[in-house]
Amino acid sequence: MLAFVGRRLLTAAIQLVALALIVFFAIRLLPADPVARLAGQDASRESYLSSQHALGLDRPVMVQFGAYIGVLPGSSGLLEGDFGRSWVTGDPISQEIRRTLPITLELITISFVLAFVISVPLGMICALRPGGIADRMTFGYSLFAGSQPEFWWGLLFIFFFFSVLGWAPPPLGRLNPMVTPPPVVTGFITIDSLLAGDGEALWDGLHHLMLPVATKVFVLSGPIVKMVRQNMTRVMTSDYVLYQQASGISPGRIALTALKNALAPTLTLLGILYGYILGGAVLIETVFSLGGIGQYAVSAVLAFDYPAIQAVVLVIAAISLFVYLALDVAHAMLDPRLQG
Amino acid sequence: MPDNAPILAVRGFSVAFGANRAVNDVSFDINPGEIVGLTGDSGSGKSTLGLGLLGLVRAPGRILGGSIAIEGTDLLRLPEAERRARRGRQIGLIVQNPRGSLSPLHTVGQQIRSVLRAHLTITRPQAKLRSVDLLRQLGLNDPERRAQAYPHEISGGMAQRVLIAMAMGAGPRVLIADEPTSGLDVTIQAQFLDELSKVSRQAGSAVLLLTQDLGIIANYCDRVLVMEDGRLVAEDRTAHFFAAPQDRYSRRLLSLAQLSPPPPPKTAETLLAVHGLSKAFLLRGSGKRLQAVDRVDLAIGRGETLGLVGESGSGKTTVGRCLLRLIEPDSGKVMFEGRDLARTPLATLRQLRRRLQIVFQDPLDALDPRWTVGRIVSEALERPSVGRIAELLQLVGLDPSTASLRARGLSAGAQQRVSIARAIAADPALIVLDEPTSALTPLARVGIVTLLRSLQREFGMSYLFISHDLNTVEQLSHRVAVMYLGQVVEVGTREQVFNAPLHPYSRALLAAHLAPDTTDRRIDRAPGAALAGEIPSPVDLPVGCYLASRCPNVQEPCRTTPQDLQYLPDGRAVRCAPAAAL
Amino acid sequence: MSESAEIDTALLQADFDAQLARPVSNTLFHVGAAIVALSLLLMVIGPWLTPYDIGRPSDEIMQPPPSLSQVPGLVRQMLAGAPHPAIHWLGTDSAGLDVFSRVLAAPRADVSIAVGANLFSLLVGSLLGLFAGTARPWVGGLTMRISDLVQAFPVFITGMILVTLAGRSNGTIVVTLALLYTPIYIRLTRSEVLTQRHRGFVDAARVLGKSEGWIALHHVLPNALAPAMIQASVTIGFAILMTAGLSFVGAGVRPPTPEWGLMIAAGADGIVQGEWWPSVFPGIAISITVFGYAAFGNGLERRHAR
Repeated sequence: MLAFVGRRLLTAAIQLVALALIVFFAIRLLPADPVARLAGQDASRESYLSSQHALGLDRPVMVQFGAYIGVLPGSSGLLEGDFGRSWVTGDPISQEIRRTLPITLELITISFVLAFVISVPLGMICALRPGGIADRMTFGYSLFAGSQPEFWWGLLFIFFFFSVLGWAPPPLGRLNPMVTPPPVVTGFITIDSLLAGDGEALWDGLHHLMLPVATKVFVLSGPIVKMVRQNMTRVMTSDYVLYQQASGISPGRIALTALKNALAPTLTLLGILYGYILGGAVLIETVFSLGGIGQYAVSAVLAFDYPAIQAVVLVIAAISLFVYLALDVAHAMLDPRLQG
Repeated sequence: MPDNAPILAVRGFSVAFGANRAVNDVSFDINPGEIVGLTGDSGSGKSTLGLGLLGLVRAPGRILGGSIAIEGTDLLRLPEAERRARRGRQIGLIVQNPRGSLSPLHTVGQQIRSVLRAHLTITRPQAKLRSVDLLRQLGLNDPERRAQAYPHEISGGMAQRVLIAMAMGAGPRVLIADEPTSGLDVTIQAQFLDELSKVSRQAGSAVLLLTQDLGIIANYCDRVLVMEDGRLVAEDRTAHFFAAPQDRYSRRLLSLAQLSPPPPPKTAETLLAVHGLSKAFLLRGSGKRLQAVDRVDLAIGRGETLGLVGESGSGKTTVGRCLLRLIEPDSGKVMFEGRDLARTPLATLRQLRRRLQIVFQDPLDALDPRWTVGRIVSEALERPSVGRIAELLQLVGLDPSTASLRARGLSAGAQQRVSIARAIAADPALIVLDEPTSALTPLARVGIVTLLRSLQREFGMSYLFISHDLNTVEQLSHRVAVMYLGQVVEVGTREQVFNAPLHPYSRALLAAHLAPDTTDRRIDRAPGAALAGEIPSPVDLPVGCYLASRCPNVQEPCRTTPQDLQYLPDGRAVRCAPAAAL
Repeated sequence: MSESAEIDTALLQADFDAQLARPVSNTLFHVGAAIVALSLLLMVIGPWLTPYDIGRPSDEIMQPPPSLSQVPGLVRQMLAGAPHPAIHWLGTDSAGLDVFSRVLAAPRADVSIAVGANLFSLLVGSLLGLFAGTARPWVGGLTMRISDLVQAFPVFITGMILVTLAGRSNGTIVVTLALLYTPIYIRLTRSEVLTQRHRGFVDAARVLGKSEGWIALHHVLPNALAPAMIQASVTIGFAILMTAGLSFVGAGVRPPTPEWGLMIAAGADGIVQGEWWPSVFPGIAISITVFGYAAFGNGLERRHAR
């Protein structure tokens, strides 16, 4: 088991290093001119050159690279865990990421857990009568939900639940501006407000999460329901479930056996999906102005803020790899066949 | 209840899948202590009936009606909770695919214990002891450790024993065994059936044995039931059944046994001679070498069939593929029509190859799913023509209109006929038949065996017939070679090998062979010439004779001296110095 | 392996399943096929079918679509050739552009980008997959590691970066999506090639004296390609979602191109004030189109599995 985890960690680390290299060089190969963008299109030659110098872009690429990973004397870089400073605001990027990342992770994780919790009973209902009405309807639903533009559904939800019904708060952020945010401990508003015992912030935070989470759960439930339904049906029609029935084992015990067998393989797939959804969170954040890492990424990209772009890609890739790894290891712990 | 009352009485039992009646109005009795065989082709409804006797049916089937009385109580009239209490307690089930019948994420011990605890009022530690005990009684060595194994860590034979432990653990009076030995090797199959009959005798249980293998029925069963299209079509005492089968299906199956041996080839000319053929595979990961074929010598005459038999892992399939260079041999000579195929450059070989053809085990896999039958057959023709394709299809017993179909729509037997048509289209001198009948139903198997015999009579090609099924080998072969762990241990004529095997391994193999013949039933005799222990790993072979660790007549030099194939005056060859000296 | 007594129930069950599932999955498949066909048709001729000029703003700003009760009257007037006010069936947007015309013209961007990107990655990916499946093991392994690396990038953000920095245009979006999707096809084709190479009919062709090249072309590739083609149908749907998503956040197609994602973004502010139509109709178009590709792909997959 340890060897298994070690091997996976090593592969992930190598991948991250390669990723860091590729990101750095790839964006410099693309035909974009960040200096012109930052100094303004009609900047004089002097101001262009001084901007270029200020950003360190007049140095040879390999020197820039050295600064990026932190092997140049006097500068800290990736090796020290320092992402550098934003070219636009001059603020340390790590600080920005620490502020925006928890917002995204909170949204995605809550949505993931909810979508999974919904999909399990749905999958079980399908497996009871494969090909029955419930099964076919669930299948159609998962096909539909899995192919929807989430940003549009977010807008629709806003229209109905905010504009028409007035149940939801305006889609303008994570908290009502009138509510004092709880002191930052983890960055997750739900957890921080619980830690601070701040009922008002907790309630307002959840209220603001309602629509984005609903949208995300709807879209996410497509692939998750499809996957759970498939596994559940496979297990419930398997020879071992039949054999347990033939051995006179109680339905409750059989259900436990079946659940373990059906859910174990979904873990790895959930891990892949998590990374995919994390990278795509920008859409829902934009619709609800949540200010998560996705929106930070958009602003960095549109401003040609290279250090911020590099940092965002690496952070998201690292978290995706880590979540995938953790769920894959959990899967291997449940399934002895994978530990070889 | 009187002693002679049936322990299981089935009346008017029917199961339907949609509009299709898989089991149709079936009635029969089983008496205490009886072993009753139930046979019939694939699709006859045996398995559905077997499961139905426990009041179960696979989705989306339905039990339509009838009664299943176990010791006088009709199972179908009981509420579900009562039925469940009786499953495993009064009526137990063993199925084929034992590993698939065990949850892969739970240990073997856990699964046996959960059955015990479902039916017996015992504590957890007691259940643990009892389950280990059961495994020990079933002949598993180191049962404590085995109980902690997961299903993927044990062999098929062991998994089948775990199933017996689960089925018999709560002491049911009736046991349904559905093809319990399919997928097991001949020697393991015999051991397993011996144990099954012993355990059930001891417990005084009756057994209903569902099998397509008439050899098993002849050797173990008291009575026979025959099913066709969901109905029982015949019921008879075993001896009488084999002497004079009443129904069409059984008569057709048993007709093969009455075939005379194939006529001897016209010439004594040697077509193919193999010397010292060896092949080892490097195992990925460990870097170990698996010696699949080890210094094999073979000769096949023109127009002759050589049967190549052996259990799984004996290397017989690798030999066939090495002859065709589908696998590159490491060393050795393959002399064919004056040329060493093992050393012919691939480009030249391509011209020659058509003289050597092959028919594979999996009939569907051997046919390109995107191609029509006509195109598949014409792939082998130099100048394809509609007329020639039709002619070839007729030769193998297919209607010429089959040419426009795709393989998926044909039965397995018809698919195998297409493969044979493709092989003979190339006008070969030798066809390697690699388990061509193993994936077929008994009825289809009869058809293919008959076809292969008539094609050989007509065109005089030679066959290398690779099979683990000794009955089929006997019906097709002139000579037989026996393989064990990559080596040929004995070669001789069919009569020599089948009637008086010399090598201890051939003797054990043939002793375990269940012929569809009731004159010398295995259940009535003491099992002889069985091999002790387990097959050595082909990755880590012993120095001396590979059989030394299991051989009943082992002598000291056997353990240290490698054995060579020795040719005897009567034309046979044997890889065993003590046996050759006799 | 050997004959199974399971076959009997399995056969019956398969029959039964087929009877049950066929009508539904066939309906889905046909609906999907119709949507796919329509989207491809609109991609080609959509911009010529528009009742209004898609680029010229008018004075009729933020006009709501006619209410359902008005529709019959308007239709009658139109058919009679009677003079009637300009009809905007789906309303107009904040620039006074006809929403219906722009929804109709948008597949020229959305569908052609998605289809183009997938054709590109299908071609490159399946060839690389064939290469990775037939080359020496270490070359194949290297190809797979590189493809793993590409897949480790967060798809949407990487797409955003590449498109923006390379210059927002239809061409760069196509190339970017193609790059991001190629590993899917490499993986799929390679694993298929690896299984197909050891199928019985491939060995049978070898024994018949066919050359390896002939076999790869006639047996291996055609059989290995089917899963990639099925995947393409599903991935084209995702590519439409991504194209629209990129322009929604301002990192995709440039305005004023008629494009569904841009239209939704342009109407997003109005939705809070109850002006729903400029966003809702292009969204419905995406929703239906992508669902159509998913249903079509799913139907293909079921047919292939049979």
